[in-house]
Amino acid sequence: MNYVIIGNGIAGVSAAEAIRQLDGSCGIFMISNESVEPYCRPMISLVLEGTVSASKLPIRGSSFYQSLNITPVLGSRVARMDVDAKILFLSDGKTLPFDTLLIASGADPRPVKAPADLANIFFMRNQHQVLKMLEALPRTRHALVLGGGLVGFKAACGLLHRGIDVTMLIRSGYPLSLQVDEIAGGMILSELTRRGLNVRVGTEVTAFKGINTVTGALLSDGSEICCDLVIIGKGVLPAVSFVPRDRIQVDQGIVVDNHLETTCPGIFAAGDVVESMDIARKTRWVNAIWPEAATQGRIAGMNMAGRAVVYKGSLSRNVIRIFDLDILAVGWVNAPDDPRFTVLSEHNQCLNTYRRLVFEGDSLIGATLVNRIETGGILTAMIQNEIPVRASKEKLLEPHLSLKSLMF
Amino acid sequence: MNQVIVHPERCVGCMQCMAACATAHSRTRQLFSAIRETPLPRSRIHLGTGLYAEGFPNRCRHCNPAPCMLACLPGAIHRDMQTETVYVDPDRCINCASCAMACPFGVIRYHEDASAPPKKAVAIKCDNCMERQQQERVPACVEVCKSGALTFEDNSKALKRKTDQVAQSISAGIDVPQGSPSFTLLNTIKRAQIAVRHAAV
Ligand SMILES: Cc1cc2nc3c(=O)[nH]c(=O)nc-3n(C[C@H](O)[C@H](O)[C@H](O)COP(=O)(O)OP(=O)(O)OC[C@H]3O[C@@H](n4cnc5c(N)ncnc54)[C@H](O)[C@@H]3O)c2cc1C
Ligand code: SF4
Ligand code: SF4
Repeated sequence: MNYVIIGNGIAGVSAAEAIRQLDGSCGIFMISNESVEPYCRPMISLVLEGTVSASKLPIRGSSFYQSLNITPVLGSRVARMDVDAKILFLSDGKTLPFDTLLIASGADPRPVKAPADLANIFFMRNQHQVLKMLEALPRTRHALVLGGGLVGFKAACGLLHRGIDVTMLIRSGYPLSLQVDEIAGGMILSELTRRGLNVRVGTEVTAFKGINTVTGALLSDGSEICCDLVIIGKGVLPAVSFVPRDRIQVDQGIVVDNHLETTCPGIFAAGDVVESMDIARKTRWVNAIWPEAATQGRIAGMNMAGRAVVYKGSLSRNVIRIFDLDILAVGWVNAPDDPRFTVLSEHNQCLNTYRRLVFEGDSLIGATLVNRIETGGILTAMIQNEIPVRASKEKLLEPHLSLKSLMF
Repeated sequence: MNQVIVHPERCVGCMQCMAACATAHSRTRQLFSAIRETPLPRSRIHLGTGLYAEGFPNRCRHCNPAPCMLACLPGAIHRDMQTETVYVDPDRCINCASCAMACPFGVIRYHEDASAPPKKAVAIKCDNCMERQQQERVPACVEVCKSGALTFEDNSKALKRKTDQVAQSISAGIDVPQGSPSFTLLNTIKRAQIAVRHAAV
């Protein structure tokens, strides 16, 4: 039996570990264009910030492939696949047959419309890109960050931390608009501006200026901005360029059933590349986060190795820590104005805390907490397990929330 | 393998376990000097006490599989197979609080600690008092708990005791008091007080 895994991110790694646990003798091949050992992708923003060195990034020891008897196929991309003949075609001309396949190719940064072929314009998705940024930093005075999503936001924080002047261009009125609601977004924005971030709302770059290296950008409002470093953080798109859409259903991401199998039998998918059932929204959704990728990888691996395990569905969740502000957002925090949903919130200016809960009937489906986030896991578990709230809903707003207070 | 088992119905909310835990994880291991240490030692067991001391000793369950472990970004959380203890490695922890969303019991806190590199806030939670166990001593919280709300015993034995109780209560058709009569009385009073408070609001 030949298992092939495309991608050596956390989804691929977790799957390989699960397969090896259940099957000691099978062949496992892992393909990735990144030739470094498996590492913690979210931590690259800390490398940019300068608080963690690149040597701390690997998540498994350097003997990962060897100790699990995995054959790594690193440094080239999967360009195409033939699902009938069960063969992968790599960009370097090699081919690789498979019996059971996992697509865990993650996501690629969403490109910008303006041509971005000058030096010092970066995406921030992998270790290599951040190491290149570090080389450019000593000459950087003004940085421009495009997009206020998780990655753009982390890039801006990292650069601010280094004392670099940063301007961030965002479309909506506040950063992280997909992750948090307006009030929490406002709190984030004021904390960031207090720390020196310039935010410009509602404009985008129409063209970059510079001979070989970027020196500025023209904006859609007609103004011009000087910058010597640009980081593009406008979200991600599932990496599906090699997937035959006529054989494997792809919507926003690769569509999977509750065993994480794609519409093509024997081919599974896990991680950022997947579109799965969202527990809070009750529709298919791409929840591109680390814990979901780890869980999906593990479950896909078990199913591939023949142990049927059901995947309950995914749930968006993020913790964002900026300077003196902790924000935890889980589930559907921005459910639309609709009588189906009730919202409870409490903004305590003294403690500088904010809590907002979204309910659908008796079930909690979304929560945003600003500061005092320690008990957020209790709320997450309630959303995840779809536990109806029988106690008074107001109790859930208390920062001292404990299981006991729910029991009484 | 013995484990700390919590019997919330016996908790009187005295918070002795918190002081004992903080002391056991201080640099000097003595209450008297621990309170003068920087960083100030903090407890890994948390008592959600309300107005009427409806105590609930809340600590890490060392789950298997542990949700916090799957969520940890840098892989700072691991399980010691022998002692069934889920550990956070303070050197690897990046204080991202990803585990805060994962722990269904809300038992992880984030702060500086004697066990972590100086000036670095990290995820802190119960470590089953491994250091004390190596010296053949029971965990500090259990040692100090005088009401029997925390016991150190084999999980399967404790489970059997509970199952027997439940079985008994079903066959007898009555509610068997789970602690001594005085605990039952205390808990009834607490419930009544809470009910009164809610009625008043
Ligand atoms: C800066 C940053 C900060 C983040 N912060 C957080 C956070 O705080 N919390 C959180 O939950 N998540 C965070 N994320 C998201 C998190 O990193 C991802 O959800 C997670 O890494 C997804 O893992 P994966 O295994 O699905 O995909 P990936 O980690 O993307 O791995 C996929 C691998 O497959 C390779 N690959 C892709 N296509 C091919 C191909 N055709 N052929 C061969 N190889 C291919 C890729 O190069 C990559 O190595 C962050 C991401 C970034 C970039
Ligand atoms: S920290 Fe929470 S999730 Fe992790 S093992 Fe302990 S109780 Fe379980
Ligand atoms: S706070 Fe520390 S232990 Fe918790 S998930 Fe982050 S790195 Fe892991």
